[in-house]
Amino acid sequence: MKNATNAAREDIRPRVERFLAGVQKPSRYIGNEWNVTRKDWDQTKVKMALAFPDIYEVGMSHLGMRILYHRVNHHPEYLCERVFAPWTDMEQKLREEEIPLYSLESFQPLRNFDVVGFSLQYEMSFSNILNMLDLAGIPLYAAERGPEDPWVIAGGPCAYNPEPLAPFIDFFLLGESEEQLLAVLDLIAEQKRQPLPRREFLRRAAQVQGVYAPELYQVAYQADGRIEKIERADEEVPDRIEKAMIKDLDEVLFPTQPIMPYLEIIHDRMTLEVMRGCSRGCRFCQAGMVYRPVRERSPETLWRQMDALVCATGYQEVSLTSLSTGDYSCVQPVIRGILDKYKDERINVSLPSLRLDSFGVQLAQEVQKVRKSGMTFAPEAGSQRLRNVINKGVTEENLVEAATAAFKAGWSHLKLYFMIGLPTETREDLDGIAALVRKVVDIGVKSGRRNVAITVSTSSFVPKSHTPFQWEPQDSMASLEEKQKYLKERLRDRRVKYNYHDVQTSFLEAVLAKGDRRLAKVLLLAWQKGCRFDSWSEHFRYELWLQAFQEAGVDPHFYANRPLAGDDVLPWDHLSCGVDKEFLIGERDRAMQEVTTPDCRFGECSGCGVCGGLGVDIDLKG
Amino acid sequence: MRLRMAFGKKDDAKYIAHLDLTRVFERALRRAGIPMAYSEGFNPHPKISFGSALAVGVEGEREYVDLELKKEDDEDAAAVMSALQGQFPPGITLLEGRVMRPEVKPLMAVLNLAVYQVRLPLAAPLPEESLREAILSWLSRTQVNYLCFSKKGRQEKDIRPWVEKMTGSVQDGWVALDLEITIGNQGSVRPEEVAASLGAMENLPLTLGEMRIRRTGLYICHNGRRRTPLENSDGAQAGGSAAVEEGKEREA
Repeated sequence: MKNATNAAREDIRPRVERFLAGVQKPSRYIGNEWNVTRKDWDQTKVKMALAFPDIYEVGMSHLGMRILYHRVNHHPEYLCERVFAPWTDMEQKLREEEIPLYSLESFQPLRNFDVVGFSLQYEMSFSNILNMLDLAGIPLYAAERGPEDPWVIAGGPCAYNPEPLAPFIDFFLLGESEEQLLAVLDLIAEQKRQPLPRREFLRRAAQVQGVYAPELYQVAYQADGRIEKIERADEEVPDRIEKAMIKDLDEVLFPTQPIMPYLEIIHDRMTLEVMRGCSRGCRFCQAGMVYRPVRERSPETLWRQMDALVCATGYQEVSLTSLSTGDYSCVQPVIRGILDKYKDERINVSLPSLRLDSFGVQLAQEVQKVRKSGMTFAPEAGSQRLRNVINKGVTEENLVEAATAAFKAGWSHLKLYFMIGLPTETREDLDGIAALVRKVVDIGVKSGRRNVAITVSTSSFVPKSHTPFQWEPQDSMASLEEKQKYLKERLRDRRVKYNYHDVQTSFLEAVLAKGDRRLAKVLLLAWQKGCRFDSWSEHFRYELWLQAFQEAGVDPHFYANRPLAGDDVLPWDHLSCGVDKEFLIGERDRAMQEVTTPDCRFGECSGCGVCGGLGVDIDLKG
Repeated sequence: MRLRMAFGKKDDAKYIAHLDLTRVFERALRRAGIPMAYSEGFNPHPKISFGSALAVGVEGEREYVDLELKKEDDEDAAAVMSALQGQFPPGITLLEGRVMRPEVKPLMAVLNLAVYQVRLPLAAPLPEESLREAILSWLSRTQVNYLCFSKKGRQEKDIRPWVEKMTGSVQDGWVALDLEITIGNQGSVRPEEVAASLGAMENLPLTLGEMRIRRTGLYICHNGRRRTPLENSDGAQAGGSAAVEEGKEREA
């Protein structure tokens, strides 16, 4: 029985207030923002803490958090409160004063909740999950938790390969959680009324679409370290867990009264989600595979949501988000509708992730009255050959056309994103990056723009599960560093600024992204040694991770740098986003033959398997 | 229309940083549907200006803000305030407002005195008489150097000139200090610095870690006369829309 009462909250708040003014940005830790939902703790049947393993400003910017917060609170009998990773100064204070990690709404210790649900957005936040559980006084290992402890669950893109977290999480939620999470909370309400033994409960939960309880599956290893097989430990659970998803975006609840933070967050604006999924089919991109198929929201729904958002927030900017907003079939009418209606309110529209073509520039031009920021293009690779390999369906002509249009429209600062270390990459592809950049600089100069400035950023390719490149090894750190140096020399120009990612971070990301359950011990050791906020360069401690690998007797290169065979058992083989493995193998073969696969929205079905298998279909509104 | 308002910033709102407070006002105005006037230029922003920045964690009982609104009708002041009050997060309370003539100087340029109440627990018993003596001794110094750590590193500054007045009392193991501090663009001293200096210079058993600070008022002080930015120079209190016309006449 959870009998946390008002006493707990009255206890924590004054203790926190004694030092809160002395920590950085105290409004991260106080809650009470405009539009916050406050429910009566004692009158609700299931209490969930939605936990984001990064700071407030990052977590509050995440649309998925907002959606689930409002979805759960929309249910009259369920309560959802928020908690974020405390920054290191706050963590130190909480530990010194022995104050458990608490929720922002009611200052309840996390361990008083029935469910603590973590958002898994990137691998480099995993150490923060352990740290938050520890700060909450919740046993880290699921096996050490009892009926008094909350269910610790997790969902988000990293749930498609959550194996490094397997022993710490009771169950994962694969896919889109709006309906699935409520089904899970129904079961937890039932469990509170009539408790079943743990195993029994997990077996029931596993009947919900997309629910994956790692302890119901056993992994056996071969002598050489490869996985021999992954088997269910129970006849009643499915062999493969299929993701959950929303069929019709016009029918699902969307938060039109989002919480208004006091401090500036990363994406501090209204958000309209115009569609889910992207079928461009870039072969390195996990999001492009796991969010299939493309489902659009109708303009009418978006306009209605916009009206509500404007009234409820007081924001002056709206972002039309999706994986590729330029591909949304109604993008122009939706933008015009918004700009016309809110002319007097001076509302701006921002369009992240525009496609690299003149249509993208045209859209950007429509929404941007003041050319304040740079225009971003992502050719991803420097040669047509390599762009064909990764199925990035853009050509040099596209880039030339887009850059010409952008300079002509008044932009003088362009940002170009590339990846290095992609499969089959050679020197020529790197030279291609330098040549492309020079070409863009020339276009800028010829256009007559003064102050032409090109920012070139390279990230290092990280192979991800559920993509055609999941079998590919990551390039070695030495090679990636050498390539960065090579490019740096070739991009020496006062108009060009070159940024690149830290290779050690990319390496660890690859290890965790392709990792299996044996990494859990490494994760625990790294956290014990002090690792947290690994995605923050000022806190990333690679040497501690190396010590952890060594102590655990785990070779990180086994995961990041070893090519996998088509018949290798993958750590995530029992987890499905609906895309067939045969399709991924076919795509990898086409990549090696440098053959592209067209977008199924505009051409024939590429046979990825999503539409038939999950009972969902592409849903276009334009 | 230029609307000057007094407001309280208390409870949880005391954790809103000064820069964030502008956004809180801006969004509340937009939600209330009150049209704002914007600055000219490349990146127009609404004209919202506060009298004096309040440190994070310090409660303000009576702070001041000037809003430039795109409204002609001066009679609207009361309506604007009640619409706006409904859009504030807890802790921000509008107290009084008045339409100002455009040529009235900005708050920042005229406010020169801040009154604070500082409460801090005693680490050991202290008779009130000893506290009074300590304060008198501190005030009698012509110079009080205080070591502070800023972005520039260690810096010693003389804080005595900024302290206009200090009194104190002892109750239930807590010391209460009433401070009057000169503020403005010449610099100033923070109330916690004065309390820390008092404790150190006069050997008082003050616990600095749990200090609670409230700013009770901000004033315009001239030739020994003190008024709030909502009062006219002759000291008459003007409030609400009824007083608007009268105020205009006098200032003219």
